[in-house]
Amino acid sequence: MGRVFAVILEGKIYSCKHCGTHLALGDDIVSKSFHSRHGKAYLFSKVANVTLGEKEERLMMTGSHIVVDIFCVKCGSIVGWKYETAREKSQKYKEGKSVLERFKISGPDGSNYWVGHGAHFGGSDADDV
Amino acid sequence: MGGVEDDEPPSKRVKVTSLDSRGIPYSLYLRQRGCSLTTDSMARLLATEGDDEVVGSKGIIKKVELVRVIAEALYSLGYSKSGACLEEESGIPFHAPEIDFFMHHILEGQWDESVAVLHKFGVTDETIVKLASLAIFEQKFSELLDDGEIMEALKTLQTEITPLCINYERVRELSSLVLSPKQNLVNGTSSKGSKLESRKKLLDKLRKLLPPTVIVPEKRLVHLVEQALVLQKDACKFHNSSVGKMSLLADHQCGRDHIPTQTLQVLQEHKDEVLVLQFSHNGKYLASSSGDHLVIIWEVMDDGQVLLKHRLYGHQKPVSCISWSPDDNQLLTCGGEELVRRWDVALGECLYIYEKSVLGLVSCAWGPDGKSLFSGVTDKSIIMWDLEGKELECWRGQKTLRNADLGITSITKELITVCKETVVLLFGWESKSERFIEEDQIITSFSLSEDGKFLLLSLWNEELHLWNIDGCPRLVSKYKGHKRSRFILQSCFGGLDHAFISSGSEDSQVYIWHRLSGELILTLAGHTGAVNCVSWNPTNPHMLASASDDRTIRIWGLNQVNANYNGRHSNGVHHCNGGS
Repeated sequence: MGRVFAVILEGKIYSCKHCGTHLALGDDIVSKSFHSRHGKAYLFSKVANVTLGEKEERLMMTGSHIVVDIFCVKCGSIVGWKYETAREKSQKYKEGKSVLERFKISGPDGSNYWVGHGAHFGGSDADDV
Repeated sequence: MGGVEDDEPPSKRVKVTSLDSRGIPYSLYLRQRGCSLTTDSMARLLATEGDDEVVGSKGIIKKVELVRVIAEALYSLGYSKSGACLEEESGIPFHAPEIDFFMHHILEGQWDESVAVLHKFGVTDETIVKLASLAIFEQKFSELLDDGEIMEALKTLQTEITPLCINYERVRELSSLVLSPKQNLVNGTSSKGSKLESRKKLLDKLRKLLPPTVIVPEKRLVHLVEQALVLQKDACKFHNSSVGKMSLLADHQCGRDHIPTQTLQVLQEHKDEVLVLQFSHNGKYLASSSGDHLVIIWEVMDDGQVLLKHRLYGHQKPVSCISWSPDDNQLLTCGGEELVRRWDVALGECLYIYEKSVLGLVSCAWGPDGKSLFSGVTDKSIIMWDLEGKELECWRGQKTLRNADLGITSITKELITVCKETVVLLFGWESKSERFIEEDQIITSFSLSEDGKFLLLSLWNEELHLWNIDGCPRLVSKYKGHKRSRFILQSCFGGLDHAFISSGSEDSQVYIWHRLSGELILTLAGHTGAVNCVSWNPTNPHMLASASDDRTIRIWGLNQVNANYNGRHSNGVHHCNGGS
């Protein structure tokens, strides 16, 4: 592929597990209590270096949302999803924010996360209670 | 100048023509000012002006003005008989006879008479009358001095020039001339033969000073026609060849056949995706780089064929930055946060390697003097070296980013680079001045026009923004339509007078926009992979090169369908548009 454009972040960086592309900063974590099929997931106020998939309506643990899958701009692996619209008023705060699956990213200290640590089969989403 | 005053509410003004905004009918102009009509001939002029007859399908051209302008054209072409005939036949005086008397007085040096007639024109803008009178008296003063009539000159200065009270500085200057008449600065001449010349110059000056309703500006019709031609040329979206003198007989409109639309060659020497390419300043060479770490120098032959000249081996990473030396004899390349190599174009050999220990070099650019080079570094600084590798300067602080291009302007001596995601820095490396351009989207790449006055930014949100950086940076236009979501796509300026903007796209096409209007005029299909970079030949407006992920370079040229062409040879393969 051509020259991929990726911004370079500074700070506590969460990056794509496969290719190392910077995806988000620790400062932008809104909540660590989210879940995906592969286990833990974090809600970030903003992420970088992702491309967006098609809009889809999905029924999540907290209700129906319109989301788009997000993919690493360099290697194309799916890393999470972004909330476009939330049907429930109480979930509106998620709009515009993105969830990165912990299984797909390397943490700031390079740490990785393996499926099995509290994997939540059958449900994605959550919020702070 | 006189005519309509700016502080008058628009509703009171007469509806004006779109071509000459000062041309309100003289009669109405006078009526608004509450002036009384003066002489019979002036009255005759006004009577015809009261005639609101219009000419042309849009009803915006006043017949009286059109005839006056045509009369002026005839007179200035030297056809005075025809001019007089037109005035007679149409009954529309070119200008009031007072003007003729006025011009006669000026050329004969009858100053007091000319000033007297001046006041009869009915120009109510006091300033204009004063300025005109002043010009006449200055001429009188100057000629008196030349003739040695010092006392008379002084009298003019005191009684006629000074009371006009316009410019005290000027009065002082003129006084000093009395003391040293040899430095006659008023019109710089002192021989008798050129007295007439200087009077003619005064007349020209007065013609420009007086409102156009009183005296039609010289060569007005020619000026209007030129305006129309320029507008036609600017509106011609495909204009890409010098058409010589434009014709008045039909509107100017180029067809698409002057823009490169057809693939003339497909260059297949690279073994991996072609990332970057650039023509040399003289348009004789093309340099390209690829994911296979190779840089290739191609030569553009006289018949337009592009042939491989050198393969440059050495880089261990794909080259992302190519810079031709000002004389096109050498090339700088760098990529992959590695090092910078300098090559000899004729021999195809590496002459020097520039490195910064521990750190990597991310971009490179030749200094305009050809004796220095600049490079962005992974620690965000910028280095300047001489050709022998001696580090001349190093500017630290957040000057550049690791994925940023480096541009350079020779006239303003600025380095141009992206210093923050949405900010471009224009750094004067000698003056240490810093200017910034801020966008609200991430900047992925940019391109500079050859004259260094325009900057084309390629943004994250699939828009190209054109900025004028000559003076205070201002956004000029936006171009949209291409696809960009993952890659760095290089765009470029091109065509005759840089009339076009071109960019690659992730949908495998080359996009071409008309620069002035912002309109997308062409998309060129043919590549089977994302087009990463485009470069338009600076000396041949009909040649465009594109680099693609499909591992090929396409050379685009004019549509050859009707042209007489024999087969093509070797390197390139002759393709039709869209062929594989």
